[in-house]
Amino acid sequence: MILQKIRTENMYLYYGNKMALNNVSISIPEKQVTALIGPSGCGKSTFLRSLNRMNDLIDSVKIEGNIFVDDINIYDKNIDVVNLRKKVGMVFQKSNPFAKSIFDNVAYGPRINGNNNKSELKEIVEKSLRDAAIWDEVKDRLHDSAMGLSGGQQQRLCIARTLAVDPEIILMDEPASALDPISTSKIEELIFQLKENFTIVIVTHNMQQAARISDNTAFFYLGELIEYNKTKKIYTNPDKKQTEDYISGRFG
Amino acid sequence: MSEMEKLRIFDNELKKLNERVINMSHLVEEQVSNAILALNTCDMKLAKQVIENDNMVDKLDIKIDKLCQNIFALQQPVATDLRYIISSLKINNDLERIGDHAVNIAKRIEPFCNYMSFSKKFGIDELANTAVSLYKDVDQLIKTHQLVLANDIFHNALIIKDNCHKASEKIIEEMMHQSEVIVVATNLMIIINLIERIASYSTNVAEAIIFVVEGKIVKHQKRNEEH
Repeated sequence: MILQKIRTENMYLYYGNKMALNNVSISIPEKQVTALIGPSGCGKSTFLRSLNRMNDLIDSVKIEGNIFVDDINIYDKNIDVVNLRKKVGMVFQKSNPFAKSIFDNVAYGPRINGNNNKSELKEIVEKSLRDAAIWDEVKDRLHDSAMGLSGGQQQRLCIARTLAVDPEIILMDEPASALDPISTSKIEELIFQLKENFTIVIVTHNMQQAARISDNTAFFYLGELIEYNKTKKIYTNPDKKQTEDYISGRFG
Repeated sequence: MSEMEKLRIFDNELKKLNERVINMSHLVEEQVSNAILALNTCDMKLAKQVIENDNMVDKLDIKIDKLCQNIFALQQPVATDLRYIISSLKINNDLERIGDHAVNIAKRIEPFCNYMSFSKKFGIDELANTAVSLYKDVDQLIKTHQLVLANDIFHNALIIKDNCHKASEKIIEEMMHQSEVIVVATNLMIIINLIERIASYSTNVAEAIIFVVEGKIVKHQKRNEEH
């Protein structure tokens, strides 16, 4: 049986008076890749960021409705946001390694969680770099600066940094949009491997990428979830004309 | 190149494909009609023309294949566009086969010229005419995508197949009693089989158009009712 890892119920999100998400109800299955697609400003990144309460950092944001992760409402008052973000990691469009060594980038999360055991950290760093499919490229220069890595390598390092705190869900906001085709294909291959152990939610503007890597696709437009289904269904025979127009590039 | 320009190119390619498939269908319709007319009237000149025109069908077949290949490679179609291009490939293949069967009929006409009454005795002329009208529906369906025509095609193809079966049984019976008709009767059986194949490929085309319009796969279904 496929478990539903994330569930939102009648979710509304406002930036001040402006409604950015309008009554979004969705169930995201465990250990699958779910792609969020839609034109700029449709609310997909806003939705993604609300899954680990990144929107809390914006003062004007107000959220109504419920968001559950493992059946726990993550907007409950007693939720520890730091723990939530450990469980729900995030990778951004632009790779953002710290100006530290490769090793220290990956060890950063475990260290601030109080782990200072050298051999354990070494193990975590190696496992995370291996899982992020970058170990072979950096194993001989772990103490070099992360800033010397290529864009594609930096992005995989950021994924390794996310994995190091042992998350269950990884949110990705256009993780390959700034990368060349080879680096993009490495990231896509990595996402494919990661879904064996993690639930992945990815925002992408690349229609072919969503089709290639995701199991489920959600199409957002003007803050509404227009259609949500298996990716195969969305890309061969979507139910809504708006979805068809968008994925075939005939929007507007 | 802007997104709008890319879309314009894509839409033009789809329009070109649609025009070519319709042209292919018209060409094949002409081939089937002429082959059957030549069969029913023993018109050897017309039969020869059908055989010669197969070249045009084959050339268009390759042009459609190449265009589909290019659209797949360069435009990455999805949804209705994807279904349309997949179906165009299949329809093109089926039309080319129907064209080949028209040619095969045309090639077998000569031996019948001295046995027209034998052929008529088994109602082959009428059977052949029903195949022509079935194909006219196919041609219309390809042009209009009106699914009511698909149901007519399924229905009429079943009748044709049934009549082909009945005619074959009668011919076999005749062969058992008159050994001198074996050669011409065998040829006639082959023609009946070709007519039956045209009906069968026609249902394939109807199934492909349903897939385009509704996204449903309706092939390999027992079909006594509407889809």
